[in-house]
Amino acid sequence: MKDRKSILLSSLIYLITNLVGLVGFFYPFFLPLLSADRAQAASPWLMTLLVGFCFVALLLEVQGDALNARFVALLGVLVALNAVLRFIETAIPGPGGFSPIFFLILTTGYVFGARFGFLMGALTLLVSALITGGVGPWLPYQMFTAGWVGATSAGLRVFRLEGRRGEVALLVALGAVWGLFYGMLMNLYFWPFAAGLGDQQWTAGLSWIAGFQRYAAFYVATSLAWDIVGALGNVLLLSFFAAPTLRALRRFRRRFTFIYQAEAL
Amino acid sequence: MIHATAWYIWLLAALSVLLGTRNPLYLIVLLAEMALVVEALYAPTGEKLRAPVAPGRFALFVVPAGALFNVLTTHTGATVLLRLPEAIPLLGGPLTLEGLVYGAINGLSLAALFTAFTVLNLAVPIRDLIRLAPRAFYPLAVVVSVAVTFVPTTLRQIQEVREAQAVRGRRMRGLRDWLPLFMPLLIGGLEHALQLAEALTARGFASSDAPFDAPRDQGVRYGLLGALLLLLTGGLLRLAWNLQVWGWLLMLLGAVLFGWALRRAGRSAPRSTYRRIPWTRADTLITLGAALTVIPLWLRAGAARLYSPYPALTLPLFDPWVGLAFLGLTLPVFQLYRARVAAAGAAL
Repeated sequence: MKDRKSILLSSLIYLITNLVGLVGFFYPFFLPLLSADRAQAASPWLMTLLVGFCFVALLLEVQGDALNARFVALLGVLVALNAVLRFIETAIPGPGGFSPIFFLILTTGYVFGARFGFLMGALTLLVSALITGGVGPWLPYQMFTAGWVGATSAGLRVFRLEGRRGEVALLVALGAVWGLFYGMLMNLYFWPFAAGLGDQQWTAGLSWIAGFQRYAAFYVATSLAWDIVGALGNVLLLSFFAAPTLRALRRFRRRFTFIYQAEAL
Repeated sequence: MIHATAWYIWLLAALSVLLGTRNPLYLIVLLAEMALVVEALYAPTGEKLRAPVAPGRFALFVVPAGALFNVLTTHTGATVLLRLPEAIPLLGGPLTLEGLVYGAINGLSLAALFTAFTVLNLAVPIRDLIRLAPRAFYPLAVVVSVAVTFVPTTLRQIQEVREAQAVRGRRMRGLRDWLPLFMPLLIGGLEHALQLAEALTARGFASSDAPFDAPRDQGVRYGLLGALLLLLTGGLLRLAWNLQVWGWLLMLLGAVLFGWALRRAGRSAPRSTYRRIPWTRADTLITLGAALTVIPLWLRAGAARLYSPYPALTLPLFDPWVGLAFLGLTLPVFQLYRARVAAAGAAL
């Protein structure tokens, strides 16, 4: 059993890292509330640095809390399966923003919990980047966001619908939301770097309303149609495949609960 | 063979010059030099690139696409090329030469960044990338190793299931037809995972419920928390109160504390090195060359570094010393060709 101090420290780390992660994505909208001088011009680099540190701290905390031999084997094999799905998608691109990887991230997060879901999302993106040569500055942001996709699906368990009809509908709804929101968040990380003139681009000193309007114009012009296809793909995959997948994952969750007893030997 | 750490330093140097300049002449020089490195890495085997898109093809797409997007959506600049009717939402207004050039520079910068990461993807094998993970991430490195090892097995399994389904006369027409392919794949993978978990447990690997958590001292957590708070406070001091020196100082302290926490967390992780990759004189030269690339750009380039075509297009400046220093990034090319000549000589 963990003591109270340990739980408190762990919770504080989760809280701070996730909050800073969120701030790192959304800062272009509220930065002028803090400052209106030219120091803002350097803020994208500062935020990238902070998000990077927070992501590393979060990974360190999550791995320590969760991993044992069963967890390592299960996570490794499921990540491999999902990375292969992304590999196939890279070789034969689907329409628009369609990607098969979120299906397994959402279902495993829902069945095995938030830590598993977070690591499943983050490591899927890492391993698929390694095997397809997709390592780049976008990778930490993709890992952070895909981790959130898996972690939030575990939140659906509060509705206590496990094994009932409504759970697939809930997962489908979450898949649709993340289909749009994933693209929206990923655009945010590079939007300030693509700064220049124009009514769709971020510039230092914008009010949050003006920033939001510009981002909305940018998002509608460049990504909305793409992300709608991604959201529809998630909806279709979850509608057709979620029920049998959840049954299989639950069956194996029971089988994975074996306990090693050294003294029995 | 060039050491993975030398490649990382090369990448950091390339990124710091690429992200530090908007001068199209510098960007073209850097892109050409990195293309040479890609070519040198690609040439020995003639194998397909381990990258989803070849960098040259990416540049041919992204530079015109960036120019087109910017000229259509940014209606600022002195040299008007064309006017679209104002009634067209987002696109209506003057299309300017400055907008076109600015968009092309954006594309050029993206293409160069992509090429820099392609170099890393080509040059460093996956096992070396995993090996470079800090010891504190030992459990996650094991997961990634398991996943990377299982990728070929999973691909083979897909082929087997497809063949089995084909023998039964099943064709993939609609989305529903993918279920008989996906489910055996998932269940087969989970069975593999179960066998692997039992094998790991039998060999005494992390067999308790939270083996990596139990022996961990709280000092790591205190260190992480303190480091994050210092980093956040430093960032806020810089952004909200414009206290640059204090902000940087606190952030530096936070980074040092963070490093200490990682080091302490790594102490409990076992690691055996069976084959140590030697650090050679060539690695030192590549590292020095990469470091020398960065300094002149920040010390000398000034206005030439931050070029902007707005409000009216001008020719960008070019500092020959800065251009000369960029040659530091091409040192791996010489080392790669030298190694190839040596290998050919040994084969004879």
